[in-house]
Amino acid sequence: MSLLEKLNSIDYWTHFVAVGLFGLGLLGFLIRRNALVVLMCLELMLNAVNLVLVELSLKTGTSEGIILVVFVITVAAAEVAVGLAIILNLYRLKKTVDIGVFKNLTR
Amino acid sequence: MKEAAFAFFSLFTLLTAAGVVLSRGVVYSAFNLVLSLFGLAILYLLWGASFISMIQILIYAGAIVVLFVFVVMLLNLEKPQDIAPPWIRGILTGVSVWGLCFILLRVFSRSFGEMPSVEPQKASVRMISQLLFSQYLWPFEILTVFLLALIVGIYMLARPERETPHESP
Repeated sequence: MSLLEKLNSIDYWTHFVAVGLFGLGLLGFLIRRNALVVLMCLELMLNAVNLVLVELSLKTGTSEGIILVVFVITVAAAEVAVGLAIILNLYRLKKTVDIGVFKNLTR
Repeated sequence: MKEAAFAFFSLFTLLTAAGVVLSRGVVYSAFNLVLSLFGLAILYLLWGASFISMIQILIYAGAIVVLFVFVVMLLNLEKPQDIAPPWIRGILTGVSVWGLCFILLRVFSRSFGEMPSVEPQKASVRMISQLLFSQYLWPFEILTVFLLALIVGIYMLARPERETPHESP
């Protein structure tokens, strides 16, 4: 497939943006030290997977992918809420959200 | 035309996602996250999944990012302190992440190319809700119980500490 054909197919763009989002999310997850940004990068990775699920589901004419995306979005919202509550508690404990500081869970 | 819009919003999503990872302040990351999620919602719309697009905007941009911004305001962070990783670890991370991306892209282009291409259907609200309330009823109900447990758990985690505890160990 030539480059021009690739640039003209929305499949290619979908894969490109899904892989790029997953890579950026993973990169941020590994190199950032702010716990809030780490959670945001987790969201980026979940969204990349959602995009591929929607594409696969619509292309093959099945509906399992769409349903799974609905569940993933719900669980992602729950996960963010719990994560932010934990970050809030950690901030109360250590007055920082730098993940390098949190070596144990006690005072 | 559709391809051009798709390309534009793909690049928009990726650039704002890079903004999430690379910007210094947490608030800038949060706003870049909003833009990135909006770009993804438009991509869903272009694919024909309008319901997913709507809940993407409602839940992600409307709830999750607002939660992030609220917590950023609550935390009262000082100056943006982001230490760059030691350069050997940074290079190793970058190489492995982009290697993973390369492998994923190859896997996608190989395996998705061999798929029988059906006429792309639309994911209507009617289809989703019929499935959700017939075939996937039990996962749906379990999810509601899960959300209830979540509310209790978050209250236990995030409630303010008492000044005088009832009992001291």
